[in-house]
Amino acid sequence: MSLSLNEMEALSKRATRGGGYSWGLAEEAAKATRWLCAQGLDGGAVLAELLEQGFAVSLQDHALADPNGPWQGNAALCPLLAGVTLSDCADRLAQGPVEMRHVAQPALILPFAAHAARRLEQVVTVTSGDWTATTDGTALSAPDHAPEHAALLRVEAGGTPSTPRAHHSRATPAPETQEVLNRFAHRIYAPATEESRLLGAGAGLSDND
Amino acid sequence: MTTSPHIPRRDPAQVMRLKRLGSLHQCRLSFMRILMRRMAQENWQFSRPVFDIDDAGVGRAVYSVQGPERAYSLVAFAHDLPPEQRSDRVIAEAWDATFTLFDGLPSAADIDRLSRNVPLQEAGRISERELSLSRANRSVRLWSHVVGRLAAGQQPDPEQIDSVGYLMRTTAVYGSGKFGAADRETLAARPELQAPFQAEMLSVYLTRIFVRDLAEHMARIKGGDRAARLDPAIARQLGIGNSTGLGMAPFIINHPVLFNNWIMAREEAIARVRSHPAATQAEVDVFRSLLKRSAVSVARWRSAHPIQIDKLARLRADMQALEDHMGAESLLQDYPWDRLMRWSESALSEEGQELVASLILEPYGDEVDGLSSCLADSNADAFVIDGAMPIKEVRALIEDRFGWALDLDWSAPENCARAWYVSEEKLEPRMGERFDEPITEYEQPLAPARDAVAAHKRLADFDADQPVSRFLMRHPEHRHTIRRAQMSRIAPYSEVQDNTISANVLPIDMLRAKLSFFGATHFDPRSDRWVRICMYAGAPYPEDLTQDTADLWVYPEEGE
Repeated sequence: MSLSLNEMEALSKRATRGGGYSWGLAEEAAKATRWLCAQGLDGGAVLAELLEQGFAVSLQDHALADPNGPWQGNAALCPLLAGVTLSDCADRLAQGPVEMRHVAQPALILPFAAHAARRLEQVVTVTSGDWTATTDGTALSAPDHAPEHAALLRVEAGGTPSTPRAHHSRATPAPETQEVLNRFAHRIYAPATEESRLLGAGAGLSDND
Repeated sequence: MTTSPHIPRRDPAQVMRLKRLGSLHQCRLSFMRILMRRMAQENWQFSRPVFDIDDAGVGRAVYSVQGPERAYSLVAFAHDLPPEQRSDRVIAEAWDATFTLFDGLPSAADIDRLSRNVPLQEAGRISERELSLSRANRSVRLWSHVVGRLAAGQQPDPEQIDSVGYLMRTTAVYGSGKFGAADRETLAARPELQAPFQAEMLSVYLTRIFVRDLAEHMARIKGGDRAARLDPAIARQLGIGNSTGLGMAPFIINHPVLFNNWIMAREEAIARVRSHPAATQAEVDVFRSLLKRSAVSVARWRSAHPIQIDKLARLRADMQALEDHMGAESLLQDYPWDRLMRWSESALSEEGQELVASLILEPYGDEVDGLSSCLADSNADAFVIDGAMPIKEVRALIEDRFGWALDLDWSAPENCARAWYVSEEKLEPRMGERFDEPITEYEQPLAPARDAVAAHKRLADFDADQPVSRFLMRHPEHRHTIRRAQMSRIAPYSEVQDNTISANVLPIDMLRAKLSFFGATHFDPRSDRWVRICMYAGAPYPEDLTQDTADLWVYPEEGE
């Protein structure tokens, strides 16, 4: 189905929150997913696969154990946590590359690398094995598919963008992807009760006047 | 003439209280007025290429408008709605009429596609070619009165027109990519859509024309040759209603920079006018004339809700006090508008104070109207947290906006009695009693003050000189709050400075704040969380739209 980017963002926010992340991270995951979709990548599928891994149950294990060493967790690194930290600490890239170990769904690092590129006013390059992506903060050069897992991911300032990806104004997630995201999103909706139906919206009066 | 402002904008701590936000009135920067001025200045051309409605009042119509570069069309569907299905709530599934605003001129195939989707509203899909999706229900009483009278060759009773004000009221008017529509980001570069909600305001303006035409059509069906056309003066007085529930309140909390821009533009306009050391007689005459016309509007404003009845009684007393004050005041010298504002703060209720604040802008279109271009939010980077900011700075930002909340006992039941949530029933936004209903685990993040206080306390455990990124690595659950605090650097009016989950919160205050920027009038709460309003009452229809009529229609002519 063709979704507006706004719909994709709203669905991603609800799904991420439903997946157990805090509201702030859910907002950032939603903007990140939208950004990937605007680059013509399947951001929805990337987010759906991440949520299916259920990191939020023990998020500390998937966060940076020690911010001064290499970026790694006790288990696979959550790309949302690693991504927002990269964005928060963009200046760090001015001192040299950041290396991350065992990153799940590394495509989700790219929107945050773009934040860093905008802050540094410099191209940022993300590589893992033979997968390379570069962004100046707005445009992205990257292949259509990203690895599902990066044993080693390197983020550094500098690089030369090759052909930038065409901008997309719609998201076209597969039905299975939407189903997963909707399933997570549904967790944040309160069950319908008669009391809530009568009182919650405060309408009450007849509209047949 | 421009002056360099030296009277500062009002303090956010004064402006952003819910009671005051719930007393705001329309002004020159209201979105309806921005649209009407543009349509007249650019001489937009209107047409009705399709009007295919049967004897039962069922069918379709298209209203098109051609601007200098682009055309837009309202595609309308009229339905035969059984009374038991008539509801203004989100959970409704059928309406008297449904609409979409199409980008350009629709083909027959476009209209057929839309006919399979628009009548379903949220259960249908629209596309990138559409800019809005909306619906309307009849005012049953006024509709049958007006159609009945016209069918009998008579005009409706002015008293009945006055008591309702509209033939149909819209409920949700969805835009910005909802249900498949075009994203705002793809449209914002068009000059005619740069200001907020212009597509939605255009769709409602065209809806008002459709509703007038439909009433006349139904009268002709009923009365045949005897039927009368609606007197243009009565038609002009009729607006289009809107019925708005709780869902609008989260919008102003969820769009802090955008909401700031609306408030800040109006505050900047007020400050500019207050900074005039003197006024000309012509400027004062404009103010005096519109004050009288405002009094007519206030006299027509009806509400059955105790809160608004009380506010209206005070506003009517304010109007009298203003009239008395104006008798002794020339307003020509000695910073007249600033003096008037200061006088109002001691003599009038918030309703009256904000009416004065909006009204003093009227003589100064040259200085005020340009601020229309500052209302949109184009600063996407404000979302990105600056992790390098020292913790002490973040704490200071929170203290600036939420100082009043730091000492509040947030665990006391009366201070956190309510929780905002979304029901699985058509995703209707609702508010409930935290201690009586099982809703806390579904709570939406709509209590920024409570969350800011929690973050402020937690931040105290960290070295004040460290960058906030260190804190966020340990406490990602506060990212939402840190982002808002940093946004408030560039957006001083971004935060409501009141408790949005207290036992006493009135969501209608938030609804009114937003609706006043649309340009709505005659706020009529149905409960603490539901409000009906009127839009475009007094506005010229296309055949009468000129630069002379485009702007001040919101103020009724005396005795009209």
